[in-house]
Amino acid sequence: MRRRTLASDALPAWSFMAPGLLVIGVFVLFPILYSIPLALTNYSVLGETDFVGLDNFVKAFKDDSFIASLRNSMTYVIVVPVLQLLSILMAILVNSRIPGIKAFRAAYYIPVVTSMVAVALMWNWLLSQNGLVNYILLELGIIHEKIGWLSTSSTALYVLMFITLWKGLGYYMMLYLAGLQAIPADLYEAAIVDGASAAQRVRHITIPLLRPYVFFCSLISLMGAIRVFDEMFVLTNGGPGNATLTSSLYIYQEGITKLNYGYASALGLIVSVIVGVVSIVVFRVNQKGGVNPY
Amino acid sequence: MNQPSMGRSVQSLERESRRSRRLRRIVTLSVGYVLLLLLALFMMGPFLWLLSVSLMPGKNVFAFPPPIFPTFVKLTNYTEVWGFINFPKYIGNTLIITALGLALNLALSLTTAYPLAKMRFKGRSLVFAILVSTMIIPSSTALVVHYLTIGWFGLIGSYIGVVLPSAVSVFNIFLMRQTFMGVPDDIRDSGKIDGASEVRIFLRLMVPMVKPGIAVILLLEFMAYWNNFLWPIVVLDDPGKYPLAAALTYLNGQFAYNFGWIAAGTILSVLPIILVFLFTQRYYMEGISGAVKG
Repeated sequence: MRRRTLASDALPAWSFMAPGLLVIGVFVLFPILYSIPLALTNYSVLGETDFVGLDNFVKAFKDDSFIASLRNSMTYVIVVPVLQLLSILMAILVNSRIPGIKAFRAAYYIPVVTSMVAVALMWNWLLSQNGLVNYILLELGIIHEKIGWLSTSSTALYVLMFITLWKGLGYYMMLYLAGLQAIPADLYEAAIVDGASAAQRVRHITIPLLRPYVFFCSLISLMGAIRVFDEMFVLTNGGPGNATLTSSLYIYQEGITKLNYGYASALGLIVSVIVGVVSIVVFRVNQKGGVNPY
Repeated sequence: MNQPSMGRSVQSLERESRRSRRLRRIVTLSVGYVLLLLLALFMMGPFLWLLSVSLMPGKNVFAFPPPIFPTFVKLTNYTEVWGFINFPKYIGNTLIITALGLALNLALSLTTAYPLAKMRFKGRSLVFAILVSTMIIPSSTALVVHYLTIGWFGLIGSYIGVVLPSAVSVFNIFLMRQTFMGVPDDIRDSGKIDGASEVRIFLRLMVPMVKPGIAVILLLEFMAYWNNFLWPIVVLDDPGKYPLAAALTYLNGQFAYNFGWIAAGTILSVLPIILVFLFTQRYYMEGISGAVKG
């Protein structure tokens, strides 16, 4: 009987899944697999396509722009701990039942749902030489002369990180809020009865129980930071110089702007391997910590 | 002799502590509100400033000191930019892309997730493992390969080409599978006993049971498609076919000198998504926090 049910489901199951799996196959699996042979050719919009072996990889590691882009992408990871810490603090702040708290949560979430194009436009004006940010900082005496935040090599990348932070805070805040609200209230009540201070309650209840959320959020935030693209694409296009060129932007410039498909695929493979290794390391570190996130 | 004075002092101590507790509560509450308001200013400030700029035609955002609060209010920026940019056309384009994307995502994630959750067939765990692995292996070159693939299909410049690569996501399949797993098996069995076909069971019995999952996917995808600008710019060769977010980058390049128009255009483009978010907040929040647990 069991066996017959097993057999009878196969046909409808595969028929149902066929369209979806086909799209997944073409647009998710195929790009991963196809980029490997593509990376071994000089396929581009110009000229003939030849097998060039590992030439693209050799070229990549001699390519100053690519090295700079990798360095910038790695530097961008600095935003992750700051973003996570501030989001947790925000989640703790909005995890109460005081009147109007839902309006505050919504207000903090609005940058998340706004398109990067609009966000970029606002901050581009605010951060310009004669912008409001310079004005406020000058008035407060924090800076003594106007700074072109996005046109100065030493600040541009950090300013983009700030925009990532501003746009992402609400998102992670909501995830951490879900985590905080999943902690049973009687745990805190029991701790209060036992005479635990507020700091002790945070240390021994909130932090351990929030850990799976911290892990999950840090991982997606890390992936996002290494592959960051939108911010520099709409605001700086990698400049000034290569100061804000990240690997995703460089791959886009090589593959879509210059149409060097083969070389762009090689660059993409290198980045994929780096991201893959980083995520394995993060998983390992987390397992050593003894907390199973799932 | 001692007793009454002791009692009095205990009583007054108690009153004192009650008063100090109330005082502390008021202090924490006000500190809380001050923090919440400062944070709201930080998160919403750029939007309010942009709104203020959009309401003051002729004001230069780069004047120093920059304009902050509206000294006068005129809607001419809005009427002019509305007439000049042909907003209805771009909104129409956005709606076509969004509707197409939502329909495909919904249909494909429902049909792909249903057998994975509810049917028994050989290869189910293999399909699942492949899907999981695509989430771990990032594809940094997907954009390049997608561009080539869409070119092979002859879909460059078409809306189908815009939505096809994102027509189904592994994330949505997982979310839907999770929702289907919550539906009791008896429902499908009873349909079978009544002799209903698989398609009928799916459409009449199963789909109505997973409405919460459907709502979440619709909302998340609506936001994603409304704000998407990169892929439409890559695929669509004619700026007249651009969706709103992409048209905004174009507008920014074309009228860089007309701050009022750009501000008004940006406000017009973000308003719909903010309204949709505010009205569907509850489902949306449940959706994103549910995604962590899933």
